[in-house]
Amino acid sequence: MALRDLSLRTASLFGRNARPAVHAVCPSFCRNASLEAVELETASSLEVPPPPVEAAQNFDPIARSRARRLRKKPLPPSRYQFRPPKYYRGPLHPHQPPPVSDPASRLFQPGPFSLPRLEQTYQTTIAPDLLTLTYQHYPYGFKHPKVTQRLREWTGDSPYFKGRPLRGPRGSSSLRLLTPPRTWRNVPEITKVVVHTMVPEAQENSAHLHVAGMVVQAMTNVRAQTHKSRSNVVSWGLRKDKYVSVTADVEREDTFHFLSKLVDVVLPKIKEWKGVSGTSGDGSGNISFGLTPDQVALFPEIEVNYDSYPPKMIPGCHITVQTSATNDRDALLLLQSIGIPFYGKLKD
Amino acid sequence: MRPPLWRPVFRPLNPSSCCSRNLLSPRIHSPRKPVVAPCTSPFSTTARLGKRSKGKANAADPRVTAIRYHLQHPLTPRPLHFSRTRYLRHWTIHRAWMLFLRKRRRAEELELERQYESMRAACEHLRLMDDNGMTVPPAEAGGQGADPGTLGPRGKEVGRLYRGAMRKVGIWGSVPVEYARAQVDFPSREGWNHGWTR
Repeated sequence: MALRDLSLRTASLFGRNARPAVHAVCPSFCRNASLEAVELETASSLEVPPPPVEAAQNFDPIARSRARRLRKKPLPPSRYQFRPPKYYRGPLHPHQPPPVSDPASRLFQPGPFSLPRLEQTYQTTIAPDLLTLTYQHYPYGFKHPKVTQRLREWTGDSPYFKGRPLRGPRGSSSLRLLTPPRTWRNVPEITKVVVHTMVPEAQENSAHLHVAGMVVQAMTNVRAQTHKSRSNVVSWGLRKDKYVSVTADVEREDTFHFLSKLVDVVLPKIKEWKGVSGTSGDGSGNISFGLTPDQVALFPEIEVNYDSYPPKMIPGCHITVQTSATNDRDALLLLQSIGIPFYGKLKD
Repeated sequence: MRPPLWRPVFRPLNPSSCCSRNLLSPRIHSPRKPVVAPCTSPFSTTARLGKRSKGKANAADPRVTAIRYHLQHPLTPRPLHFSRTRYLRHWTIHRAWMLFLRKRRRAEELELERQYESMRAACEHLRLMDDNGMTVPPAEAGGQGADPGTLGPRGKEVGRLYRGAMRKVGIWGSVPVEYARAQVDFPSREGWNHGWTR
């Protein structure tokens, strides 16, 4: 914010014949202008013509600071830091948070700090191959018919059908995601990985929960979150409002690190492992599978200091890979190309 | 609270003999008659271990204690506070980094788009091609609507390869495990492990 003020002040000082260097400093918030601004200036700032004579002659910093002091509007102190609003109060509120990419934003995450090998493989090989495999051709000029109503109506003679809400699709209560035709913009990619561990023993002894959290944290490089059980389940020995599970949401570059570790190091070391069940998946492009405690112990981070964990407390875990695919078929193809083996009848 | 993560192997013989001697105080040195302390402990270099206690089960595992300690430890860094010029430097670098990322993303997208367009042109060419390799006018070709399998007025002889390609037989779930090899900068010396067996 201080920078925006600064640039505005500088621009207003030099008036209309502002130097191009000032333009470069001006933050480019409109998208189109910034695309042109990518080019570095060929001319150096030393070759820029000096400010006009009138501006140089009228430049009196002492008088300006005195006037500013009289107006009770001093410059912001040098350590001034813009603090974005803590809560988002809606689009009409005058106090709007900065974009997430701004370091001043509360949601800003620095990085990426690495370019994982799996990400490079995806960009150079997997994405073009998936695009080619799943491409469906339509003749030039073909317009897809618009699907307006996907819910079923009640048809029949009964007078009670008149005001009823529409029915869901056959066989399920909710509508499935629509799959748009494949283009270069919607090639499926991995958006997130969730590692989840449930430790019901933590109700008696919290050490299980702490060890599980540390294991998950070491595996994923993400701070683990704990969750309470939502209800009493007698057959599982669950009591309400007791901490029983640990999750870690792996996002951005950590997904690639985690998945490549899993595919290249952990999965090949598992003995007598058939692979992931081909029927796994929630129907909208998220595929999950589980690892037993001794398989979790194969992760390199656990393996190198295996002695620092009580061996009986190392938990198993569920790994959910979330993709941007809208159906399980595409998600499965993506995970196969990354190197996760599937067995049995494949879904769809 | 900082629990002892390890226990020293050396145990002093008895606490009074070790700790009570003040090293800074001058020792009364009498060469003729050395002071002989009465022997109160058995002849051994290590202290006696006490009786083994029964309540070991309830004692916390030191590994768990260490894990708890490291989970609790706050490692939140202080927020960044910069002066104006330093903030400006950081802001410039940040903008440059964002521009670099954007250009990289844009280049990847353009490359994919180029491949997509050429693939589309090739499929359209296949659709309009008859068995002799000649291009027919679009009105005579099949696959007019959403279904690529529909036949045109010339029947099966136009776009045979196109219909075969669009059936997508054996596509889904067909990626072999060997496809997923970690990419490396250079090929290996041998190129192939000839001794490999499943």
